[in-house]
Amino acid sequence: MKKIIQHCYIVSLLFYLLTNSFVIAQTNTLVPSASASTSPTVAVDKDIQQLKDKIANKVSEIRKKNNKAISGFVLSNDGNKMKINNNGEENQVKFDDTLTKYFKITGAQKKEIKVDDIKKDDYAIVSGVMADNIITANVVLVDENFLVDSGKITEINKDSYNVKVSTSDKNIYSLDIETYTKQYIMNIKTLNLERIGFSKVKEGDTVHFVVKKIFSEKNNNYLAIKILIIPQEYFIK
Amino acid sequence: MKKETMVAVFFGLLFGSIVAVFISFKSKDIELAKNKVIAPPKEKTSFPNTSVIEQQPLVLNEPADRTIVENSVIRLKGSAAKNSLIVIQSPIKELIINNKLEKFDLEFPLALGENSIKIVVYPKEKQFRPQEKFMKIYFIDSKL
Repeated sequence: MKKIIQHCYIVSLLFYLLTNSFVIAQTNTLVPSASASTSPTVAVDKDIQQLKDKIANKVSEIRKKNNKAISGFVLSNDGNKMKINNNGEENQVKFDDTLTKYFKITGAQKKEIKVDDIKKDDYAIVSGVMADNIITANVVLVDENFLVDSGKITEINKDSYNVKVSTSDKNIYSLDIETYTKQYIMNIKTLNLERIGFSKVKEGDTVHFVVKKIFSEKNNNYLAIKILIIPQEYFIK
Repeated sequence: MKKETMVAVFFGLLFGSIVAVFISFKSKDIELAKNKVIAPPKEKTSFPNTSVIEQQPLVLNEPADRTIVENSVIRLKGSAAKNSLIVIQSPIKELIINNKLEKFDLEFPLALGENSIKIVVYPKEKQFRPQEKFMKIYFIDSKL
């Protein structure tokens, strides 16, 4: 009896060992578990995403490095490309249907526009990647062109509210002072800016000015947006 | 003539000629000394102060012309003459400062798009001409 129990024990042990090893072999090779089937996919997806991010970052870095900005008056625009003229230099701009965005700036506001809204003589600011003297535009901004300069007042016409200014590079500007022109004077003691009227402007004063430049202007005659007077007394004291 | 007399005459002539040579050399030295006073030695020459006071140039270290930025504010860093008047103007802002130190580091606002900025330095010494710098800075918002 004792022997029978002993044999039964040995057989059951062998059976257990055999069945257990078979199950282990099955799980590892023949029937993959649910978790084993999904985890490699997740890992691969993660790797792909990381690679995508890396490529996107690299592309963004290269774009940033090669990013240039140019500006000028529009000479022509056929919807695929345009030509702009900035102080006599002609630049070609290529549009990308999927990439290029167009905006019009009015004061501090911007409004998205279409490529066809960009007309001849508009002032365009283009940002994009420059290659072979052609810029592929990322962004096109249609804005106003401002001229900022300074010089000495050489002549004042009190009747027509006009001043003539001679700059250091020997340019003569004729500035019309309008009701909307912001006129400031520097207080020679405090250096603070104070609002003034046209009557305070004197010949011999130094003036810093901002004017809106238009493509067709040839005689250096502009409507002044802003003038800032440095009185001649500051230089005498 | 006695022999003693002859010796005395000889020595007299010899002494006389020695004295004559000595005096002539001495007078030459005196003459040279006089000339030295007219043209003093190099080490003692003092030239009048001809050095010209040079004007310190306006240097703008940052930002470079045609820089593209993604912020609506930039910092203008550079140097100009001490106590000069610096006027910075753009279509949206005017800034006037007295440059108490040589170096300056100023915050300046930008409008979206192109910003034409003119910097003029008026030196304290009125004999110097104002110095100017002009630049265009592009504020292109990355969200566009």
